[in-house]
Amino acid sequence: MSVRTPRTLAGRYARTAYLFLLPAILFFAAFFYLPIGNVVATSLRTGPQADQWAGLGNYADALGDPAVRHSFLVTVAFAVMVVIGSIVLGLALALALDQPLRGRVVFRVLLLVPYLTSVAIVGLLWRNILDPELGVLNRVLAGLGLPGQQWLNTAPLLTIACVTLWQSVGYTMVLFLAGLQGIPETYHEAARIDGADAWRRFWRITLPLLAPTTLFVSVMAVISGLQAFGQAYIITNGGPGDATDLSVFHIFNVAFRTRDFGYSSAQSVLLLVVIVAFTLVQLRAGRRGEVTY
Amino acid sequence: MRRTLLYALLALAGLVTVLPLLYMVSLSLQTEAETLAADAVLVPDSPQWGNYAELFTRAPFGDFIVNSLVVAGAITLAHLLFDPLVGYVFAKFRFPLRNTLFVALLATLMVPFFVRMIPLYVLMANLGWLNTYQGLITPFLMDAFGIFLMRQFIQPIPDDLIHAARIDGASELRVYRSVILPQTRPALAVLGLFTFVFQWNEFLWPLVATTTPEMRTIPVGLTLFNQEYFTLWHLTAAGSVILFVPTAVLFVLTQRHFVRGIALTGLK
Repeated sequence: MSVRTPRTLAGRYARTAYLFLLPAILFFAAFFYLPIGNVVATSLRTGPQADQWAGLGNYADALGDPAVRHSFLVTVAFAVMVVIGSIVLGLALALALDQPLRGRVVFRVLLLVPYLTSVAIVGLLWRNILDPELGVLNRVLAGLGLPGQQWLNTAPLLTIACVTLWQSVGYTMVLFLAGLQGIPETYHEAARIDGADAWRRFWRITLPLLAPTTLFVSVMAVISGLQAFGQAYIITNGGPGDATDLSVFHIFNVAFRTRDFGYSSAQSVLLLVVIVAFTLVQLRAGRRGEVTY
Repeated sequence: MRRTLLYALLALAGLVTVLPLLYMVSLSLQTEAETLAADAVLVPDSPQWGNYAELFTRAPFGDFIVNSLVVAGAITLAHLLFDPLVGYVFAKFRFPLRNTLFVALLATLMVPFFVRMIPLYVLMANLGWLNTYQGLITPFLMDAFGIFLMRQFIQPIPDDLIHAARIDGASELRVYRSVILPQTRPALAVLGLFTFVFQWNEFLWPLVATTTPEMRTIPVGLTLFNQEYFTLWHLTAAGSVILFVPTAVLFVLTQRHFVRGIALTGLK
C-alpha cells in the first residue's frame, strides 16, 4: 500500500494527528464502544450462551423482578446517604481547615489517607472492627462496661454508607477547600462591614458561591455511590438477608454466579440509565441554582 | 473558645481516621489468641513479625505482589505514554472530525466500569485472555480523564514554540518529545500518581478476570484469603498492611501533588 504524501500543510498536519491518534482510536473502539454495543446486544438475548433472541424480555423481567427492584432501591438509598454525608461532613471539615490553624497541613494529609486505600482494606478492616461477636469495637466497649453494638445487623445500609464516607470524606473535603479558597475575601469583608455575622455570611456568601463545588461533589458522590460494589462484596455479602444487595453486587452475582449474561446485561443498562438520569437532574438543578455576584 | 471547638472537631475526625489504621497495624503483629481475646488487645505483648512470613506460606502472596506491581505499573506507563500524546493532538491540531472524536472521547467518561464488565469478560474469554496479564491490563490502558487533563495542560503552551521547532526542521514526533513533553512534567507527575494508586487498589476487574490464586492482585488475593481463613485476622491484617504501605509512602512523599491534583479535577 502506498501512502500518498498530502500536498497541503493542513493535510500533513491532519495525517500526523491521525497517526498520533491511531492507538487511542483503536483502544476506545475495542474497549469502550464495542463493549457498550455488546452489552446492549447481550441484554436482548437469553439462554446460558446468551444466544437466543429475547427482545425486550430481559428488561420486562428485570422491571418486574422484586429482587432487582429491591436492589435498585437499596442502591439509591445508599447513594443518597453517601451524598448527604459527603456534603455535610466534607464541607464542615473544609470550613474548619480553612481557618488559620496550626497543623492544618497535617490534618489535611491525615484525612486523605483512607481515600488512597483499597476498598479491600477498608472493607476487611471495618468488618473486623464492627463484627457483633468477634469485633474489636464490642470487646473494647465491654471492657469499658458499655453495651455492645449490632450496627451491621440493625442498620447495615447506613453502616456501610458510613464506612464509605470514612474512606471518601477526605476527598470531598479537599474539593470544598479548593472551592472555599476561590471565594474572594473582599465579599466577606464587605458583609462584615455591613454587620453580617458569621452565620449569615455562611448562608448568604459562602454557600451560594460554593454551589459549583457542591454540585460537582454531589454528582461525583452519586455516580460512585450508585456503582459501589466492594462494600457489599466484602463487608456484608449483601446481607443480612438482602438489606445491602447493592445493584452492581446483584449484577455481579447474576452474571458470574448464576451465569445469566443476558439478564445481568439488561440490569447493567438499566442501572446506567438511572445513573445518567440522576446526573442530568443534578446538573439541571445545579444550573438553576447558580448565582453570580 | 471557637479555636478550641475547631481543634476538638478536627482532632475527633483525625482520631476516627487514624485509629482503625493503627489497629490494623497492631492486629498484624498479634498472636491468633490475642486477636480473639475477650479483653481486646490494642498493643500486642510482643510483636509477631513472623505473621508476615506465615502469610506467604498460606497464600501465594509473593505472586499477588508481583501481579499488582506488573498490572498497576504497566497501566501507569501506558497512561504516561498515550494520554499526553492524545491530549496534545486535541489541544494543538486541526483535522477533520476533530470535534466529533473529542465528544466521542468525553462521552466515555459517562460509562462506569460495570457497564463494560460483562462484555469485557466475554471478550477476554474469547481471546483466551482471562487470568492473564494482558487481560488485566488492556481494559485500562487509557482513559478520557487522563487525556482531558493533559489537553487542558498543553493548551496554554504557545503555538509559536511548536512552529519554531517545525521551522528548525524537527519531525512531528520530535516536536512532541522535546517541546511539549518536557513542559507537561508537573501534570504527568499527578497523572502517574493517581493512575498507579487507583490501579494498585482496583478490585472489581481483577476479581472478575482471574481464576487462579497465582494471578490475583493483592486486593483480590487478600479478600479471598480472608474468605478462606476468616478467623486468621492477624494474617489478613498483615496482608492489608502490605497493600497499604506503598500507597501511603507514595502519598506522604508527594502529598502536595495529590492535593493539587484533586483540586484540579474539581475545576471545570
